[in-house]
Amino acid sequence: MYRLLEKGDEEPVASLLTGKVSSGMTRRLPSTVVSDLAEIVGHEHVITDPDCLLVYESDGLTAYRRPPRAVVLPSSTEEISAVVGLLHSNGIEVIPRGAGTGLSGGALATPEGVIVGTARMNRILKIDVENRIAIAQPGVINARLTEATNPYGLYYAPDPSSQSACTLGGNVAENSGGPHCLKYGVTARYVTGLTVVLAGGRIVELGGVGRDPYTTLDLVGLFVGSEGCFGIATEIELRLLPITEGVRTLLGIFESVESAGRAVTKIIASGLMPAAVEIVDGPTIEAVEASVFAAGYPLEAGAALVIEFDGTDAGLDLDADRAEQCCLEEGAIEVQRATDPEHRTKLWRARKKAFGAMGRIAPDLLVQDATVPRTKLPEVLAGIDDIGNRYGLKIANVFHAGDGNLHPNILFDRQNQNELELVERASKEIMQLCVDAGGTITGEHGVGVDKRQYMTLVHGPAELEAMAAAKRVFDPDSLFNPGKVLPAVEVKGATDTAKILAIGE
Amino acid sequence: MTSAPVYEALGQALDAQKERLRPCVHCGFCLPACPTYNRLGNEADSPRGRLHLMQAVVEGRLEPSSEAFRTHIDRCLGCRACEPVCPSGVEYGTLLELARETATKAAPQGLPTRFLLKVLGTRALRSPFFFIGRLLRGTRLAALGAAVLPSYGPFRAVRLVLAMLASTTRWQPMASEEATSRNTDSGNHDVSRRSRVAVLLGCVQEGLFTRINSATVRVLEANGYEVVLVEGQDCCGALHAHGGDLECARMLARSNIKAFEASGADLIAVNAAGCGAAMKDYGTLLEGDPDFVQRAEEVALTVRDVSEILASSGPRIGASIPCKIAYDHPCHLLHAQGVEHAPITVLEAVPDAEVHIVAGAEECCGGAGIYGITHPELGGLIGGDKVSAVRACLADAVATPNPGCMMQIGAGLRLEASNEGVIHPVELLDESYRRAGFYRVGGAE
Repeated sequence: MYRLLEKGDEEPVASLLTGKVSSGMTRRLPSTVVSDLAEIVGHEHVITDPDCLLVYESDGLTAYRRPPRAVVLPSSTEEISAVVGLLHSNGIEVIPRGAGTGLSGGALATPEGVIVGTARMNRILKIDVENRIAIAQPGVINARLTEATNPYGLYYAPDPSSQSACTLGGNVAENSGGPHCLKYGVTARYVTGLTVVLAGGRIVELGGVGRDPYTTLDLVGLFVGSEGCFGIATEIELRLLPITEGVRTLLGIFESVESAGRAVTKIIASGLMPAAVEIVDGPTIEAVEASVFAAGYPLEAGAALVIEFDGTDAGLDLDADRAEQCCLEEGAIEVQRATDPEHRTKLWRARKKAFGAMGRIAPDLLVQDATVPRTKLPEVLAGIDDIGNRYGLKIANVFHAGDGNLHPNILFDRQNQNELELVERASKEIMQLCVDAGGTITGEHGVGVDKRQYMTLVHGPAELEAMAAAKRVFDPDSLFNPGKVLPAVEVKGATDTAKILAIGE
Repeated sequence: MTSAPVYEALGQALDAQKERLRPCVHCGFCLPACPTYNRLGNEADSPRGRLHLMQAVVEGRLEPSSEAFRTHIDRCLGCRACEPVCPSGVEYGTLLELARETATKAAPQGLPTRFLLKVLGTRALRSPFFFIGRLLRGTRLAALGAAVLPSYGPFRAVRLVLAMLASTTRWQPMASEEATSRNTDSGNHDVSRRSRVAVLLGCVQEGLFTRINSATVRVLEANGYEVVLVEGQDCCGALHAHGGDLECARMLARSNIKAFEASGADLIAVNAAGCGAAMKDYGTLLEGDPDFVQRAEEVALTVRDVSEILASSGPRIGASIPCKIAYDHPCHLLHAQGVEHAPITVLEAVPDAEVHIVAGAEECCGGAGIYGITHPELGGLIGGDKVSAVRACLADAVATPNPGCMMQIGAGLRLEASNEGVIHPVELLDESYRRAGFYRVGGAE
């Protein structure tokens, strides 16, 4: 019933090579629309100067660039509703954007689209200590919620590596993970309710503490991870956790990534329940140690393994001892233990700032994201190494080893056109490798525009149509973040409109 | 539109710095550290956005004379809070100066900025300028004007300038003379082994805060340092570099390098955070000058904030001054120089001075040169938040070791009719030493 468009039919944006689009191609918004937008949000919060729009041409994935027609920065649910209503009634696509830290191009503008940013919606509306619930606007930075709830002995568990900058709205859109999701689960597990602006500006409330999402259709669950394709979350109700009593952080130094990978498998198989298990490989160690976040990892190490246990203090030392044993049995050169909170923070900072620190060793990087069964880690890592060697590309690996979530960082120089092509080919091979190993094309960064082309590696036409149908329920005219997630497909025998809807452009 | 060759020349300053721009991977970690982005929400007013605009100029996609480039580069406070949070180590401060130079060459800056830079960079103009300032201050006309002028229209800027001027008045510590004890010095001071220290006198510091310079000399001497006077020194050039007049900044830097080299001092003590940051960067400023780069780097290595010198030897403990002090970090000390604890160590050498760190002390006060005049609305917003945070400390005085911050916070407090004094940490230590009798020679002070 559906066929994939042939290569060449596909709109140019889905390629790394053609991602660069000059601002000259962007069509200006009609002046009546601009003045109506200004009336809603205030003149200074509507950006239409093509020069200023350059800064919005990409998110954290700079390989794709295209400036929007305009950027609007509303400050409330009502303003977002009015803005979306106005744009949609003019047939203008809306691209939601948080802090623009995403790594799959989820906030990349479409040629006809307007970005609606949540940067000004940065207030925590409520902290309900008794019920361990917080309600926040989408522009609140992830780490700020934990900072704000810490005085009450609470925290927000999902901790993406960009948590110091990324926003909760973006976390909801991407169903973000983070190192501690091994034990605590991803964003979806913590979102209990949402106020959402749907197509046309309709405001709906999904879930909410009073209403058990599991006794009705779980629309919250459906919305979380929809990558801005269903609507914009304007108020987010989140579950908080009590701060754990104890924590133990270990650092295992290994000669190779493979042996570190085997240690991970051994730790999990031994029945331990670490809060986080992270691998940082040699090239990454080199970058991080050159940065201001240097944590004293030995430079000659092939890999470092960060393992953390948390919970009731009693028993944690035993768990740490057992994990240490697992590391030593798999050939760890040494195993250190964080001696104080400062030391622990330092170890984690080195891991969490790894992406940014890559700038020390290469001008550009593509952070890939894929998941494989944990037991396949050593062979997949060796495979990635091999792909890097074949294409002559440096690939640095830093990843959530505990749940098999890989982040190969492909380092390159954008100015070298030839290298760009190699990056794209290597990326695709890595994806294929992970899928062949029984994994999938994303762990936590989302599909966005970058992974769209790989969707067919893991999903058949029936699943893709189910996803397209779900999108149509929320966004019948495909005016929310089109061209993301779903690959370009054509509905056989459908009307032109239906064809466009399915394609998502 | 500018013609191609002219355009190329304008973009040259930045273009030569391509390598400095390349480490930015667009991760966005700098966004939450930026005071302008936090308040405006526009990414063109974030460090990443500004770097992106600089990159666009280098790539030839954006005119340096464009409104977008000039506005957003100009709107940066230059607080450099983005630098310590950058995993890639982008040298934002240096790039900003180059971008400012590029933008300024494409379209000159506003009159107030040009006037101020001209005056501060020219010794002959500086003296009468600050003389008038001291006159307005001494006759209390500044205080009067700040109190009675309305806060709208053209009066707003005048009122702010007068309030800044009035705020440079010395704060009399509240504690009564009788309550002070005698010298409680721990006595572990080997006076003979200390280094020879030269003191940067600066432009604003010399014009309006001579008392801080004198206090710096006395406090250093009381801690066993040999203070040498340096003839021929000039304004450090920081404000010129921040304002995009790199040529003038380099000229001033060269004069200072020559003067301080000739002094034979081991260290250069600086009591203004902005000047210290600029002098520590002299090597970068003069990297294109083969005759001077080596000398600039050597001089830069000897530059210290006065608090760093005092803290390194553990300052002598003075006499008690019971008071509550709110401490606020100058951006150019915390972010640009990475000096966090030293000034607090200085304050803690005063017994019974209770030190509180202002909430959000790591965020810019909005001083940033004459930001309050060039960007009244945004500057007012940022300054207002700082003043509220200072007032919430319920302190007797706020201490911050930079003249710009002292004047900005002082003016804000004054305009809100709040009574906190404004001091430099060495001032309090100096007063504490005076009360302890450290300065008495044969019984006379």
